[in-house]
Amino acid sequence: MTFDWWTFGLQTINVLVLFWLLSRFFWRPVAGMIERRREQAQALLDDARAVRDAAAKALAEAKKRNAGFAEERELILQQARSEAAEAGRALLAQAEAEVAVLREQAAAARAKEHDEAEKAWSGRASRLAIEIAEKLVSRLDATAVREAFLQWLAEQIVALPSDARGKIVDGGGPLEITSAHVLTAEEQAHIHATIRAALGQAAGISTPEIVFRADAALIAGLELRTPHFVLNNSWRADLQRILAELQHD
Amino acid sequence: MISPLTTTEMFCIGFVPISATVVTTWGLMAAMVGGAFLASRRLMLKPGSAQAFFELLFESVDSQIRDTMRVEPEPYRAFIGGLFVFIFVANWSSLIPGVEPPTAHLETDAALAFLVFLAVIFFGVRAGGLRGYLRTFASPSPVMIPLNFVESLTRAFSLLVRLFGNVMSGVFVIGIVLSLAGLLVPIPLMALDMLTGAVQAYIFAILAMVFIGGSIEAPTTNHPAEDAS
Repeated sequence: MTFDWWTFGLQTINVLVLFWLLSRFFWRPVAGMIERRREQAQALLDDARAVRDAAAKALAEAKKRNAGFAEERELILQQARSEAAEAGRALLAQAEAEVAVLREQAAAARAKEHDEAEKAWSGRASRLAIEIAEKLVSRLDATAVREAFLQWLAEQIVALPSDARGKIVDGGGPLEITSAHVLTAEEQAHIHATIRAALGQAAGISTPEIVFRADAALIAGLELRTPHFVLNNSWRADLQRILAELQHD
Repeated sequence: MISPLTTTEMFCIGFVPISATVVTTWGLMAAMVGGAFLASRRLMLKPGSAQAFFELLFESVDSQIRDTMRVEPEPYRAFIGGLFVFIFVANWSSLIPGVEPPTAHLETDAALAFLVFLAVIFFGVRAGGLRGYLRTFASPSPVMIPLNFVESLTRAFSLLVRLFGNVMSGVFVIGIVLSLAGLLVPIPLMALDMLTGAVQAYIFAILAMVFIGGSIEAPTTNHPAEDAS
């Protein structure tokens, strides 16, 4: 066994050189790479932390904004509710007013229709009464009926106050006798005499002139017309009076 | 078989004889430095498998330094890591046919032990100054100064003997078995020699860390009276 000092010295130098070279080409680069990775990881962590903080801030702002939205929404809803209630009330009032107007119009139309119907029925009833009366009169003795009406006219004249009879006499105009049929001369003379007697005038005393007219609408009867008044003495007048009383009831 | 107890001179540079051990060491140095250079050129933030292996080695060395010496590993990384890598690679170089590991020769192990001896002094003086380093010999008591001084020599010598004995014996055994049994029979012994080589590299590095750590520790921790003074 030998110990070579040259080999010992060279190996010492070799190992020192190897340590230096490994330090230069291995340990330092690997340490630098690990340090860079650590720095990059730290930077990533810092970035992630910054992003997280920004996200938290954005979230807080979003929550705050949402809270503002909720308040604004509630305010808008309250305004909308109040406006809707007010509009509802206005529409209801308008509808009530329109309903009232429609009711009034309907009532007026109904009253008008009622009046028109009543008038129509009255006209029809009048015409029916006239027709009935005409049919009844046509079956009666025309002379007897005319005599009866003449007597009733005379009674009405007699029942008049004296000044009214005076106005008939001194009326300043002719008397007009209207009959339902054209009278013959004898009938006119008889009527003339009867009226004169009813006026209380003696023979020889001038009597007002009497003009005879025919009007089929009288149905039957005699009517006296003076410049001052009229004595209705016909079935038409009676029927009109009855109709007026019925309609009045 | 060439005995590891002898030195084979291959050539001379001037008057300096260059042995086979030195040449083998140069080859291993070239391989390690070349590999380290190639690896350092391809370092990326997202490591590949090779870079992950190198970073694992790096982190393991740092972790061992931190756990054993209780200091930041950066000032000691190159020395401790270099010791481990060189001894490991040198021990495993016996797997290459025709290559005799440099650590199987006494000169290489002596050089490594001598460097550890110098490193203990260097790091001890740098950490606590010359007086601080010398005070470590008086720990735990000034009575221990002679023993501590002898210990500083003998522990370096023990490093030398331990590494040399293990590696040289492995080479011897494999050589003898290989000359007797021939093919395949030495394989289990070679595997055992690989295990022995890795363990010896680890033990050498750990003991170096312990010795250096002992020199950079404040010796006053065991002497409250000296602290007070």
